[in-house]
Amino acid sequence: MARLLVHGAEPARSLRWRCDAAGIACAAVLELSGLTKRYGDVVALDRCSFEVRRGQLLGLLGPNGAGKTTAMRSVFSLVRPDAGSVTWDGADIAPQTRLGFGYMPEQRGLYPRMRVHDQLRYFGRLHGMGATDAATAADRWLEDLGLADRRRDRLEELSHGNQQRVQLAAALVHDPELLVLDEPFSGLDPIGVTAMAEILAARAAAGSAVVFSSHQLDLVEDLCEEVVVIDRGRVALSGPVRELRARSPLRYLVVEIEGGDTGWVRGVPGATLLEARGDRIRLTVPRDTDLGAVVAAVDGTGRVRHFSFEPPNLSEVFLEAVDR
Amino acid sequence: MTPAETVRLVAMRDFTERVQSRAFQISTAFTLLLVLGAAIIPSLFRDDTAPPLEIGAVGEVSPLLATQVAVALDGDRSVEVVAFGSVTAAEAALDDGEIGLVVVAGAEVIVGDGPSATASIVGAVAAALDVADRAAELGLTAADVAALIGEGAYPIRSLEPETDEQQANRAFAFVGSILLFISIVTYGQWILIGVIEEKTNRVVEVVLGAVRPHLLLAGKVAGIGLLGLGQLLGTAAIGLTAITIAGTFTLPSATVSVVGNVVFWFVLGYAFYATAYAAAGALVSRQEEAQNVAFPLTIVLTAAYFIAAASIGGDNPVLRVTSLLPPFAPMTMPLRIAGGDASTVEIGVSILLMVGAVYVLIRIAGRVYSGGLLRTGGKVRIRDAWRSAEA
Repeated sequence: MARLLVHGAEPARSLRWRCDAAGIACAAVLELSGLTKRYGDVVALDRCSFEVRRGQLLGLLGPNGAGKTTAMRSVFSLVRPDAGSVTWDGADIAPQTRLGFGYMPEQRGLYPRMRVHDQLRYFGRLHGMGATDAATAADRWLEDLGLADRRRDRLEELSHGNQQRVQLAAALVHDPELLVLDEPFSGLDPIGVTAMAEILAARAAAGSAVVFSSHQLDLVEDLCEEVVVIDRGRVALSGPVRELRARSPLRYLVVEIEGGDTGWVRGVPGATLLEARGDRIRLTVPRDTDLGAVVAAVDGTGRVRHFSFEPPNLSEVFLEAVDR
Repeated sequence: MTPAETVRLVAMRDFTERVQSRAFQISTAFTLLLVLGAAIIPSLFRDDTAPPLEIGAVGEVSPLLATQVAVALDGDRSVEVVAFGSVTAAEAALDDGEIGLVVVAGAEVIVGDGPSATASIVGAVAAALDVADRAAELGLTAADVAALIGEGAYPIRSLEPETDEQQANRAFAFVGSILLFISIVTYGQWILIGVIEEKTNRVVEVVLGAVRPHLLLAGKVAGIGLLGLGQLLGTAAIGLTAITIAGTFTLPSATVSVVGNVVFWFVLGYAFYATAYAAAGALVSRQEEAQNVAFPLTIVLTAAYFIAAASIGGDNPVLRVTSLLPPFAPMTMPLRIAGGDASTVEIGVSILLMVGAVYVLIRIAGRVYSGGLLRTGGKVRIRDAWRSAEA
């Protein structure tokens, strides 16, 4: 239900979810508002606000040091913000509520000498599961991850890739309502990336709120409907990926003309040549550029082998937003 | 989930991981061997009956010599008298080591090597018996002679009102202090290493996603503390049982209360130092820095131990003062209690101060701990850790 409503919702500047006026129960959200955190002279977060809904898979983007990790840690009270608040369902997050969250920090770590099954059961129990439930869930996760035969092994005896899987299972073993993952894709091989992406999408589809940070923008573009871009501690951009791309003031024009004539570019108002490689050139033009005029300018310069006019992809939107 | 449940879970994990660790098993086996060795080996070499003193007698030696010498020697040794026909024969036997010394009636005591206390006592007894014999010859009755010899020696009164029992209890409590010192240092180090391990392998951030830092601290201290208490009690029980079975020493009457005393102070002392070690561990990121950051704690603990060691002889002003001060009391107070030197008020004040100090330390250390845990890289200053933590 929540997911359907998300699709139907009016595009808004912020990700703020508006409850339906008809009184449909508001989807619970994780809401960070006005978060500010300074470490000495370094500003980690500067009035940072965004939110995550149930059933949503939100990508958190930003250059290194932008404040993504600080924002995620604040959800778990691992940093004390100087100002602002983090709420779940509109209320401050009590320790009891937080037990229903799952967290996979950027710096991976588990107990190296603890046996895999014991480890997952322990994390399940720390999150409030009963002994039997935790053991069952640990078994199920090990089965799902193809590690059932390694349940009695110590973590340090597993390969790096398998340790990563156990790490993910440790964050998921208690079926969290909110899943926060810091760079979950870093260090994974393509097979691992695919598996991780499937698991995250499945969690969101099952109704959890999922937020993760990543530098792999093409992956985020495939996986997430919505993203938040943080830069220098502030939200530089947020919203549905499609909309952010459409909203960009620029369009990307790629033209390949036999002979490689570029003189026609001067006839297109506001065009900026980005690169010319052989016969292929890439340029940006203002969003409202009349495509007919461009076609007219190109016309007659030579045989056109390729012509595309597209909004920027997520990487380009990202680079425009952080403006480095 | 209640805080107590969380603490129990964390404690159980730390407890189990340590019990299963090879290091723990080896150290436990080693400690047990040591204790069993100390308890049993002396009994194997001990001669229950001290060798009898054999006196060679030449001439008319009083038949009372054997019994009177035995009394004079405090009844520690049995005494036999062997008659010899001549001084030469007796000297030969003495030379061969068949007898301990020779009494030549009315003349001298001959010893194999240098003069000894035993020889002097035998000489004095022989002379006294000569006096008695001569008195009998002069017509005194047997009763008169007995009255003349009397008890043989004056009883001894010491200015120091110390009883053997008190001394034994104090020595016993000191052995307890040694165990206490070793346990607190060992388990404190485990806490220190454990905290740094969780920090270096980064698991702490995953755990803190679900567990509040002060509960993680409490669970860790409790889990490893239970293990320490278990090892201490186990060691004490096995050691005492072995001593009793082997009959190595006579256990002082207050054994049980001394053991209870040591265990009680272990709990307080361990809680104090383990909490401090945990906070210290949270300030550093590498095992190599562990000893630097723990150095001040180890110094205080060692000082307390040396004060206890220096006071084995009895109560003194330094011991009296330090037995009231929290960082020292766990080492010094059990000694005074065992010796019967501490008044009830002193014990009460000491316990109150200690409990108060543990409480304050847990509050301070809990905050430093939570502030330091997620800071990696260099050493974190206590002030910075304090500031960055949740109040």
